[in-house]
Amino acid sequence: MKALFSVAFAVAGRQLRRFFGNITFLAPAAFPVFFFAAFAGGLSRVGEVPRFEFAAGYTAFTFVWALLQAVAMGGAFTGFAIAGDFENGFARRFLIAAPNRGGIILGYVFASLVRTTFTGSLVFIVGILAGMEILGSGVDVFGLIGLALIVNVAATLFGCGVAMLLRTQQAGPLIQTPIFMLLFLAPVYVPLELLEGWLQTVAPLNPLTAIITTGRSFIAGDPTGVGAAFLTAVSLVAILLAWAYFGLRSAERSG
Amino acid sequence: MERRHGIEVENLVREFKKGPRAVDGVSLSVSPGEVYGFLGPNGAGKSTTVLILTTLLPPTSGTARVAGYDIVKEGSGVRSAIGAALQEAALDPFLTGREHMNLQSSLHGLPRKERKVRGDELLERVGLSEAANRRVRGYSGGMKRRLDLALALVHRSEILFLDEPTTGLDPQSRSALWDEVNRLARDDGVTVFLTTQYLEEADMLADRVAIIDEGKIVAEDTPEALKAEIGRPSVEATPVDFKELDAVSNVLGRFGGTVPASSGSAAVRLERGDLADVVRALDTEGVKVMNLQLNSPSLDDVFLEKTGRSLEGSGGGEEDEA
Repeated sequence: MKALFSVAFAVAGRQLRRFFGNITFLAPAAFPVFFFAAFAGGLSRVGEVPRFEFAAGYTAFTFVWALLQAVAMGGAFTGFAIAGDFENGFARRFLIAAPNRGGIILGYVFASLVRTTFTGSLVFIVGILAGMEILGSGVDVFGLIGLALIVNVAATLFGCGVAMLLRTQQAGPLIQTPIFMLLFLAPVYVPLELLEGWLQTVAPLNPLTAIITTGRSFIAGDPTGVGAAFLTAVSLVAILLAWAYFGLRSAERSG
Repeated sequence: MERRHGIEVENLVREFKKGPRAVDGVSLSVSPGEVYGFLGPNGAGKSTTVLILTTLLPPTSGTARVAGYDIVKEGSGVRSAIGAALQEAALDPFLTGREHMNLQSSLHGLPRKERKVRGDELLERVGLSEAANRRVRGYSGGMKRRLDLALALVHRSEILFLDEPTTGLDPQSRSALWDEVNRLARDDGVTVFLTTQYLEEADMLADRVAIIDEGKIVAEDTPEALKAEIGRPSVEATPVDFKELDAVSNVLGRFGGTVPASSGSAAVRLERGDLADVVRALDTEGVKVMNLQLNSPSLDDVFLEKTGRSLEGSGGGEEDEA
């Protein structure tokens, strides 16, 4: 166990040194802020459609999705970094020195969590500056943050698995696209009840739907489906942890 | 630290999909504290063997124990005991030398207090103290190699794997690295598994040498014993007039079988007579030569003898000019 954490802290430390050592670390934060500004501003009239009932207003409604997008894409960007490490050979240093190679995955997850705390906070600040109403209590807000962090871990593990399986930066689209699809196949602009057509059929099957819906209920101060949302999020982490280990084993086999 | 285990390899095989056997039944034994040279041309299977022994690549079949640990079942133990500087130094261009040392010692779980002391000590030993706070992207090839070596030593590794450590280095850097490897083996008792395609390097550093070709070990012994197997030296002559090369070849042919020679020269393994006899024969035939040299058997001769080919990237053998 000691070796697991030694390796994890070493990997995370190096990732974060690289992340904050370059001004480009601001780039991943720009996407969710842009989406938030575009949706909350350009689509604000959507909040006035009949049967759209969200007490905290449309800005807060969009904010939750933007926050989850920020944390999920933070995981994807960590996946890109992992793929880069394998492509340029640096990952060999980890593989050859790490007594416990599971610590490599854990280290990337730690780094992603720190990184996402930064981007998530930025989205929060922009949301508050945009006049977002938070009707939930402090506990509710922590519930939302908890869900966001679990989503980040799940996305990181997904990216980690793909990156270690393919070991090339060309894996980028394969990491990003499924995450984007899941994000957009959830109730992004309107609540689940107002969706129509094929999206109405698909969205309830999307695990992110339960998480986003509960996240919105937290910010509206009326938590609903909390148990199901956390169970879904933790199950995603469990499944994607197995996926990340599958990727690691593949990398170990290929040398 | 008591060092009781070296490297034991039995019938190691690695097959790649749609490719030949990169490693084809390699068996070897390296004693604790020994410097073992693994000599062969590009593509012979040297690096694949190192990747397997350092747990970066699983074998297709066969067994190996490194520092007493099975490389397949006890990979974690192997990695704790070894240090490795591979052909491509895995360095992050955006980190400094010191940051690399800190990262490596953290990976190995060194206590925080010890990390800086150990890092500084090793950076000084490899001559990188002044460059320690510079990003690695500004390092020369030799500096990167030396940093990689320091990183491999950070946790006081029992066994050190060096995969072509001096390839691409200038003579000064090469010499410095040789000194350090010698010191590690002599003073610290580190077991060194060294792959190289340079004959001179194997000759200088290794207690024993294995010659590998097409995934198989074709010879293994001390450099002296291997060269003694060849026995007789070779003689090489360069005529003053290139048109007389055939005449020179004919004269030399009386003394033994032809061996590869430099351009414009002819050479034979001296199986009959000695250098004085060759000089007299050339004089009798009236052939003028500008250079005549007696070459003691080299590891290249051993390689030639065992495989029928000369070793690529030869660093030259021992020479006695006549």
